[in-house]
Amino acid sequence: MAYKRGLMLNLEDNVANALEETLPGDTIQLSLNHEIITIYVEEYIPFGFKVAVKDIHCNTPIIKYGQQIGIANRDIRKGTLVHVHNMTGARGRGDLDKKREGK
Amino acid sequence: MDFSGYIRSDGSAGIRNYVLVLPGGLISEKICAFVPGTKTLAIAKSGGGMTSRDREAIARTFFGFGLNPNVAGVIIHNGSPGAGYPELRVERLAAELEKSGKPLEAIDVKIEGGTLETITKGIKLARKMVYEASKLRREPVGIDKLSLGVKCGASDPTSGMAGNPVVGYLFDRIIDAGGTAMFGETTEIIGAENILAARAINEKVAAEILKAVCFIEERALATGEDIRTMNPVPENIAAGISSLEEKSLGAIYKAGHHRIQGVLKYAERPFGPGLYFVDNWMGPNSIFPGYAAAGAQLTIFQYGGGAAARTVLDPSPAVTAPLLWTSANPSTYAVAKESLDFYSGTVIEGIESIEEAGERLLKLIVDIASGTLTHGETVNYCDPIEVYGLDPLF
Repeated sequence: MAYKRGLMLNLEDNVANALEETLPGDTIQLSLNHEIITIYVEEYIPFGFKVAVKDIHCNTPIIKYGQQIGIANRDIRKGTLVHVHNMTGARGRGDLDKKREGK
Repeated sequence: MDFSGYIRSDGSAGIRNYVLVLPGGLISEKICAFVPGTKTLAIAKSGGGMTSRDREAIARTFFGFGLNPNVAGVIIHNGSPGAGYPELRVERLAAELEKSGKPLEAIDVKIEGGTLETITKGIKLARKMVYEASKLRREPVGIDKLSLGVKCGASDPTSGMAGNPVVGYLFDRIIDAGGTAMFGETTEIIGAENILAARAINEKVAAEILKAVCFIEERALATGEDIRTMNPVPENIAAGISSLEEKSLGAIYKAGHHRIQGVLKYAERPFGPGLYFVDNWMGPNSIFPGYAAAGAQLTIFQYGGGAAARTVLDPSPAVTAPLLWTSANPSTYAVAKESLDFYSGTVIEGIESIEEAGERLLKLIVDIASGTLTHGETVNYCDPIEVYGLDPLF
């Protein structure tokens, strides 16, 4: 079976980018620091979008580039799409700004 | 490594050879329409009702453009709104420009007797200055004389994976050679500011980076909105970028790996060679003129475009500094081949490494610095510039 190409930037990351359009049932295989990482894809991942490389619990960080890029706002299964429907940013959140409460 | 440039009296080296007419507006437009080889700045906000620090930003932009190495000589007049403020008086701007030793002519509208008379005088002076500038010849000069400014836009996942790292490699090479490079977009380092602060040359610069981010984030919080509804922009999200932090962490790759020498204000000159962070805003009509006013001879737009690939990429709003468009997105390359100057999607396709693509980009930079046009320079159009102001208008 032909593997789909993906890119993971840091071993601490819990997401990888699909380097081509990836369909349910496809397998992404990539290597990082001589480690082979295999992801069985469960849903459609468009080119360049992120796929979870491990199960991510609600309210835990999404890690890419070895850094936090946001927080999961629901449980995310390995092999599924990670995007604005299941993660939020934690910075510049005026909507959550405590100083504004009561205004 | 050498390029072929115009040596200026202040020791800088131009990659183009324009006569600049300042400030923008009716008089300057008409002079430039009559005389080829001239450029002027179209600007909507010219100082009226603005705070002193924002007027000073406009002043820095005006004399900064005049000091840009791509400018052979400057004609300046006082027939524009804003010219009465102390920062923007012709005498003050001329004093800054004189430091370069470049040819400079100042026209007083009152002495000439009006708009038409000033235009006539300006045309005469501009024709003479363009004629004299044409006698200059390009000479070999090291790439240490180059100063570059970059912005990434319509960012998509290819920007962080390939486009920005390739520009970062170029920045490393230019700085290794003794050159200067600028990056900025303060909103778009939110979430990556600690990585940049750790790369600052000293604690003072690190603190300035964090302070710039703090200022912007406080402003964002004060809006009461989730910044994700403003930035990342809809095109970023449609292409797969999920948060501002993700965008920022991909964006900083364009800054390469060198130490950050300082934090500059909009249109402020670097105080030596090396890498600089500019506290500026992402808008192309703002950021590129700011880099040109800070001395960049060439500007770079690293374009993603995954969700909004444009077939026509805009000519440079930096007026005297050509704009080079690069992209790592195959769909952008497919639709914008005629406008795109450089394609680094080869890195994603597994054809080239970041280093190989970066070396190819460096060669192209040397070609463009030596006279080859960017695709944008084949279009006779320039957007008005937007000087980045920090304060309200009154």
